[in-house]
Amino acid sequence: MSNNYFNTLPLREQLEQLAKCRFMDSSEFSEGVEALKGKKLVIIGCGAQGLNQGLNLRDSGLDVSYTLRAAAIAEKRQSWKNASENGFTVGTYEELIPTADVVLNLTPDKQHTPVVNAVMPLMKKDACLAYSHGFNIVEEGMKIREDLTVIMVAPKCPGSEVRAEYVRGFGVPTLIAVHEDNDPKGEGLALAKAYAVGTGGHKAGVLMSSFIAEVKSDLMGEQTILCGMLQTGSILCFDKMVEEGMDAGYASKLIQYGWETITEALKYGGVTNMLDRLSNPAKIKAFDLSEELKLIMRPLYNKHQDDIIDGTFSRVMMEDWANDDVNLLGWREETAHTNFEKMPAGDVEISEQEYFDNGILMVAMVKAGVELAFETMTAAGIIADSAYYESLHETPLIANTIARKKLYEMNATISDTAEYGCYLYNHACVPLLEDFMKGIKTDVIGKGLSLDDTGVDNARLIEVNEALRSHPVEAIGATLRGHMADMKKIV
Amino acid sequence: MNNTTSFGSKIHLNNLTVNFDERFQLDNIDWVITPNQHWMITGTNGAGKSALVAVLAGYGDIISGNLNGTPKRVGLVSFEAQAELIAQELKKDDADIMDVISEGTPVHEMIYNDCADKSLAESLVEKFGLTELLDRAFRKLSTGESRKVMLIRALSSKPDLLILDEPFDGLDAEMHSLLQAHLEALSNTTQMLVVLNRFDERPSFITDIAYVEDGSLSHQIQVSDKAAYEALYQLLHLKTTELEIPPVDKESALPALDPEQPLVRLTDTSIKYDETVIFSDLNWTIKPNEHWQLSGPNGSGKTGLLALITGDHPQCYVNDIFVFGFKRGSGESIWQIKQFIGYVSTALQWEYRVSTNLRNVIISGFYDSIGLYSNSSDRQKQIANEWLALLGMSDRADQPFNKLSYGDQRLLLIARAMVKHPPLLILDEPCLGLDDMNRQLVLALIEKICAGSETSVLYVNHHPEDKIKGIENYLSLDK
Repeated sequence: MSNNYFNTLPLREQLEQLAKCRFMDSSEFSEGVEALKGKKLVIIGCGAQGLNQGLNLRDSGLDVSYTLRAAAIAEKRQSWKNASENGFTVGTYEELIPTADVVLNLTPDKQHTPVVNAVMPLMKKDACLAYSHGFNIVEEGMKIREDLTVIMVAPKCPGSEVRAEYVRGFGVPTLIAVHEDNDPKGEGLALAKAYAVGTGGHKAGVLMSSFIAEVKSDLMGEQTILCGMLQTGSILCFDKMVEEGMDAGYASKLIQYGWETITEALKYGGVTNMLDRLSNPAKIKAFDLSEELKLIMRPLYNKHQDDIIDGTFSRVMMEDWANDDVNLLGWREETAHTNFEKMPAGDVEISEQEYFDNGILMVAMVKAGVELAFETMTAAGIIADSAYYESLHETPLIANTIARKKLYEMNATISDTAEYGCYLYNHACVPLLEDFMKGIKTDVIGKGLSLDDTGVDNARLIEVNEALRSHPVEAIGATLRGHMADMKKIV
Repeated sequence: MNNTTSFGSKIHLNNLTVNFDERFQLDNIDWVITPNQHWMITGTNGAGKSALVAVLAGYGDIISGNLNGTPKRVGLVSFEAQAELIAQELKKDDADIMDVISEGTPVHEMIYNDCADKSLAESLVEKFGLTELLDRAFRKLSTGESRKVMLIRALSSKPDLLILDEPFDGLDAEMHSLLQAHLEALSNTTQMLVVLNRFDERPSFITDIAYVEDGSLSHQIQVSDKAAYEALYQLLHLKTTELEIPPVDKESALPALDPEQPLVRLTDTSIKYDETVIFSDLNWTIKPNEHWQLSGPNGSGKTGLLALITGDHPQCYVNDIFVFGFKRGSGESIWQIKQFIGYVSTALQWEYRVSTNLRNVIISGFYDSIGLYSNSSDRQKQIANEWLALLGMSDRADQPFNKLSYGDQRLLLIARAMVKHPPLLILDEPCLGLDDMNRQLVLALIEKICAGSETSVLYVNHHPEDKIKGIENYLSLDK
């Protein structure tokens, strides 16, 4: 059984690792891909991340090939097709791993232990093993051979975006880290930086973090605000509108595209801007609802963070892995049968502003979720920069996925780890909000406030605006979006 | 005046071909002028604008087709008519056998003889400042002065149809606005056809515009159709201005290429998906300054072939491809390849969905990026402004790209592709999805580029009518 690496560290080191996060200056990438030039990069796995990172790295002038399990090659599985149709050399572990200077492990978390156990003995002395996610090292306590350098380069976007942004001449924000226990020659940082340049990440901003901070914040964000809150919110809001006699097609469309529309405002100007899109009375309403939601949900966010920090979450999930994913697959099936999922978006016109005006509760849910996730993470010792990226920054990405594919496909698209956490959150959050939802009417979800009187109390409005603007996620958000804007003139 | 009063005639030109002393021919003109319309006729020099309106004044020999409904009284002011009158006057001089110096016809006779509305003529003489010149001989007047006489003659003849061929040419600013105001007032009662080269001189009462090109009437649009109006404006702008292709930015100049080396050399190349072979054993060399046209049916792999060159097709790494001094797959990055290529296609236009302004779209060509992610220099901004001027879009520089019409977006992307003066410009069906007017706009721009730069053009297309002057090499793919 696995051995949680984080739990083996003394508290002092745990805190130090959790607090690692620094926004790197673009001048730190002046060497480009030099550290990887002429080296042999072998990628394990050819899914969305594997393929798209490989395409970028090759287009940056690097030598990339793919290694797959012998069965995947023999049966010409999709991963084999992905790699070979794109003109990459594909070979078995035995054929390619011994030639690799850098092995990029881009398989799903679940496969990390068997994959790393299989490739490690084949790796050249002094080679480098790269991850895109630290779960295997931190949660499973994988021990890597002492001569090997271990780094992480984690683009903070789905694989398709990683490619699309590169092709445009840009990149996606990327987190890099060096596993300090495995940096025998002190070249980990140089390799990680070159890797980030090769995927285009340096153009969009790179955070220097640690394996631990990445895992603990990534897990927290994805299972609470990103996937969990949007899943729960979709189900509750849809059922409420139908219960109140609204047209199901309209309700379905309002939700499917509503998350994307309101979080677009979030992406540009944080929670403040998202709420500023509402009328004054609606803003105050959304604020009040979100305060209420935060009060109800805070214990749930704390529990998720606690379970993540002490390893309970990964232990329980790994038990399900060992049990053939019975829970995960069962819950995924349940998602397919929710009323929201079954009702296609109606053929109705909804203007951009209408998504805000008629989705006050959705705005309140996003605000509550973002702020709670951020507050909980920072209270657990994760630095604000990390907490921002893993909460507010990534919310629009999941919202886009829901707009394209609704919940079932959103869950199938995200990692199994995120999906598992999403269901845990949803199962706890739906009953938690039962009473709250009883008091909800169509004025805050579906129809909008009936504004006979658009007036508001000055003092109250000032209070609400002040509270919105002074939340700590807004301060760090403004700074980081500022960095982004410097590099990306147009969002 | 009462705006509801109807004026003017219904004039019908049906498949009309008219010859002018075998010097010029108008071909197959279909044109209907209805009451209450005022037309502006425009086009490049020599296109046949003046000939077209002259037909309505009775000039030219009708070869075929019908002309119906021309009113009895047609007033015509044009340089040709002016020249004709002056020639007549000079003839009088020649014909005079007496040994006295003939002055020719004085201005007052030119104006007041055969005048339908004497009081109007008198007031115009005063307004136009001709009082002092009434006794002078017509042929002694300056061009501008004789132009005024022509105008007064036409205006005071109470015509049913008034044809004004470049009426503002040669008039000073004050006279220009006087005439504008007079025509404005007249427009409530008298139908007018105004030939104008410059859109900005269009009087506000014009309702319809005819565009003449190579002796044909190629476009007829209503002024109220804003999109068509702007496209026509740009077409005229591109055709009539003698702007040069803006210069290259010295600071972001490309690395020099060996002039002895081909730009592109493909050896036995192929594209395959699974078991499907799109093409194979293809050999192709593009040398500097060669222009190529690539054609082939849908699915023959034209776009795939281009993508092998641009580095956008992943199989470029498994083929024997040499581009701009690089053997593909030898450690070069795609940005080192793309810097030498300007590229325009429908797919690029679809992908160019970032919200940025027109100027930035052009500047992004310096970086081969979709969207602009780098700080641009003042010089780059200035070059972008010059391109916008060339396209006739200067006043829209700060507008968002995604709000532009489809055709304008295409023009802008061609400018983006050309801004760095790439050794190779690839135009993958640049006219696809464009209407006739926009197609002509795009072709006009491309011809300007072919003629005015060192760039090799690689043009992909399967419309034979969209030919570009200057292309001499052809590669055709089979299915």
